[in-house]
Amino acid sequence: MSTRPPTLREKRRYLLVRIEPEGTIIDQKDLYYAVSEATTSLWGDVTAAVIMAAVVTSDGQYAIIRCQRGTEQDLSIALSTVTTCCDIPIALRMVAASGTIESLREKIRRIKTPLKELSSPPECMFDKKMFQICQCNSQKIDVIEKGFKNTNRLFLIREDLEEP
Amino acid sequence: MKITDACVFPYPGGDSSVGRMALEAKSLGFDRLVADGAQSGEYYGIEIFSGILVRDTSVRDLINRVKRERNKDTVVSVQAGNNGFNRSVITMKGVHIIRGLHTADKYAFDHVAARMAADNGVAIDLDLSPIILGSGFTRQRAIHRYRDIMVLERRYEFPVTISSHARSILKMRSAREITGLCSLIGMDIPDIERAFNGVDTITVPPLPAVKVI
Repeated sequence: MSTRPPTLREKRRYLLVRIEPEGTIIDQKDLYYAVSEATTSLWGDVTAAVIMAAVVTSDGQYAIIRCQRGTEQDLSIALSTVTTCCDIPIALRMVAASGTIESLREKIRRIKTPLKELSSPPECMFDKKMFQICQCNSQKIDVIEKGFKNTNRLFLIREDLEEP
Repeated sequence: MKITDACVFPYPGGDSSVGRMALEAKSLGFDRLVADGAQSGEYYGIEIFSGILVRDTSVRDLINRVKRERNKDTVVSVQAGNNGFNRSVITMKGVHIIRGLHTADKYAFDHVAARMAADNGVAIDLDLSPIILGSGFTRQRAIHRYRDIMVLERRYEFPVTISSHARSILKMRSAREITGLCSLIGMDIPDIERAFNGVDTITVPPLPAVKVI
């Protein structure tokens, strides 16, 4: 089958989303299933078929999601209902929308990733309990309680930490 | 206009500290948060209002609880119950917001309660968590109830607030995302702007209609 001429091709839009929390590794296929499920759950099969969401790339913190032109708003509403991916709590924050993948890649390149500050000790104290720092980025600090009982991630700032 | 998320639950109610939630709110385009159980203050330019949510209690206990909080700088919210309970809560001095109408019964908030809410300046909260986190019947019921509330709001013009009920920064949504979600319940841009500013309406005492000299 030969490719259609440009005027007959379906027009598409690409959404750049940031995956939070930082440092979460999400497989592209799993992200597609999460987005697809959220879209179908919110809009139903008919509108989901019109939106035709697909994850183009997902590497690290950012993902590019494709949809039909004119359905960006519907897709972005559906993306705000994505809360988990493979039982990992995540949030998809929309950064930009564009007509080409290249311009979004350029945007990713332009967004400067803040340097990870390694000056903090790997352990810290909060609410009289010991925690292990799993992510540290300027003011933001993500910690996990030490031990095997509670492995939930807590989201703190530097001022919250106590002196051991 | 100050864009406000009318209810978040910071640590220990959730997994994020109030400072982190404020930092996240700033990046999501908010100006103010009502944080349950937190101290009032300001973090990273975001105004934090202390809030309490009273739930599962009798009217008598509720009166005592509200009396204790009356002179403090706290936003008092009450979980909705049946119609009679809601009407008595609306007339209670010191109550600012009624929450959780999507879980209350079908007749919990009718046109009489709507008129009373408008007269007493009590806000009705639109909790977006069942739309964000829920699916199927839970989400459909919430959307249906909120559409019904908005019909009454347009007729009686009682204050409305919007909240994410986020217990984590991952459950918080940006002002733009909330605008999109509110469009699902038939709110247009002026409605949403009014609802974002709803906390101002209930915390600032109204100017007297007649000035006594």
